[in-house]
Amino acid sequence: MNAVEVRGLSRSFDGRDILRDVSFTVGHGEIFGYLGPNGAGKTTTVRILLGLLAPGAGEARVLGRDLAVDDDARARVGVLFENNGLSDRMSAAGNLAYYAGLYGVEDPAERIDELLTLVDLADRRNDLVGTFSTGMKRKLGIARAILHRPEVVFLDEPSSGLDPGAQRMVRDLISELSRREEMTVFLNSHHLDEVQRICSSVAILAGGRIRAFDSVAHLTAASGRPVVTVALADPGESARAREEIARLPFVAGCEMNGEGLLCTLSDPGATPDLIAALVGANFRVEEVRRSSRSLEDIYLEHVAPAEGGA
Amino acid sequence: MSTFSVIARREMRLAFRNRSVLITGFIFAIWFPVVSAFGIAAGAGEETVVLAGSIAAIILPIGVFMGYVFCADAFLREKRDGTIETLLCTPVSLRGLWEGKAAGVAVPAYLMTLISAAVTAATVSALTDAPVIAEPLLLFHLAAVVPVWVAASAGLIGAAQLALGMRENQILGFVFIFGFIFLIIALQEVAPGGPGLSVMTEAVLAAAGIALVALARFIAGKVTRERVVLTIP
Ligand SMILES: Nc1ncnc2c1ncn2[C@@H]1O[C@H](COP(=O)(O)OP(=O)(O)OP(=O)(O)O)[C@@H](O)[C@H]1O
Ligand SMILES: [Mg+2]
Repeated sequence: MNAVEVRGLSRSFDGRDILRDVSFTVGHGEIFGYLGPNGAGKTTTVRILLGLLAPGAGEARVLGRDLAVDDDARARVGVLFENNGLSDRMSAAGNLAYYAGLYGVEDPAERIDELLTLVDLADRRNDLVGTFSTGMKRKLGIARAILHRPEVVFLDEPSSGLDPGAQRMVRDLISELSRREEMTVFLNSHHLDEVQRICSSVAILAGGRIRAFDSVAHLTAASGRPVVTVALADPGESARAREEIARLPFVAGCEMNGEGLLCTLSDPGATPDLIAALVGANFRVEEVRRSSRSLEDIYLEHVAPAEGGA
Repeated sequence: MSTFSVIARREMRLAFRNRSVLITGFIFAIWFPVVSAFGIAAGAGEETVVLAGSIAAIILPIGVFMGYVFCADAFLREKRDGTIETLLCTPVSLRGLWEGKAAGVAVPAYLMTLISAAVTAATVSALTDAPVIAEPLLLFHLAAVVPVWVAASAGLIGAAQLALGMRENQILGFVFIFGFIFLIIALQEVAPGGPGLSVMTEAVLAAAGIALVALARFIAGKVTRERVVLTIP
């Protein structure tokens, strides 16, 4: 059984189809990135999974359960929406204590201390949340979402409003939660860079349909684009090396850029031959790297056509 | 601690910290009854039970209004800012959430109503020398009928605020208050004891209040999560 299963899911609002036959699964302990342009239906999907909205067709299960009717199963799931779910007129600790009571957390005081320290708000624990900055509220919202040690946590753009340091904190925290507590993380995000770094698999939603659903490694694998970046120990040699490389029969083109020489191979398996040729010509090679496509490239490839003619 | 008391205690704590709601409630609790107290003292005869009856008739609508005032914070604000969506994802059922909140609203609303009753009774007593507060039926009214009606008001208005959109809610507040006042007057008229304090009138009001609480509970049970989420602005 998967942690999250979505099968043939459709939903419309006021006659407008928002989700059309959406299917994907998320395995236990995975960090899953759910991507798509604004208004694609990411939050709607999460709401259906959490049992807040009914599906028009198809089904959505978390831990094999329908959260709309299963109160106990909801206790095993955490969520952070755009709204952090906090009261401005209660303290940081008071807000967490309230949710601890709702979820029946044992030993709440200890858990609250631990989380406030984790999100760097221990010294503000008794301050009213209304006095917090956007980012501080977001961090407290994340602490609130994982307070009861959920098995699956849904994070809807967790790093929005966070400074780079805090974004990194959140990224590390998510990786840590999935690794140490085997928490499954369902991440809605527009930070493709963040997704590429921490997610094991992604789905791209556009025009109401899933345009891609695969592991990040597989999606970004270099296959189909045999481009290799070569850096020389002495960058001053680059121009001469470029002439040498251009003469090789398995090279389709070679450009110089800030990182070194960007070589496009006509034969995808020719990287070792390229290295051998450079070494044979007495160039001192510092680094050879096969360039993979960024998640951003892949995202745009899938989203642009969907936006054009969906 | 049960989730019911977790929710109710939080709402109470927030209500007692909400200065603007407290001030609104307080002004209404003092100003309106004191003005009426002069009318009661001037118009009524010397009979204590008649004076006490007039106080009872004013205090019930005040209790209903207090329920409305305190609901705005517990139900409407959390809906307006979207906090309710996160609460709906907890293991607490929607009805459980409503129960805790309605109770947490009803307690401060009832206390405020009691303050209002005490001020009115003291003013009337001072003006007429009649010991109105010692009138047993008035005490029964304040101890039993008023809290039930405050709970009914908080429960019904709270359930409506969960279920309806923001615009409907604005109109609805007034409809509710006037509906309640109309109902109270009508019940007093049709009760065998007639208007004023009598055992029968109090029994009819108490029974009607209990029926309204049951109605509120029924309605709250019919509201769905989807309904709440789709009416978040
Ligand atoms: N309650 C609603 N009533 C009508 N339409 C809605 C409602 N909720 C969402 N929609 C519509 O559904 C579409 C998907 O919205 P959703 O919030 O799921 O997008 P999203 O992918 O989360 O976007 P974003 O990246 O901006 O958060 C939007 O066109 C939105 O207008
Ligand atoms: Mg969204």
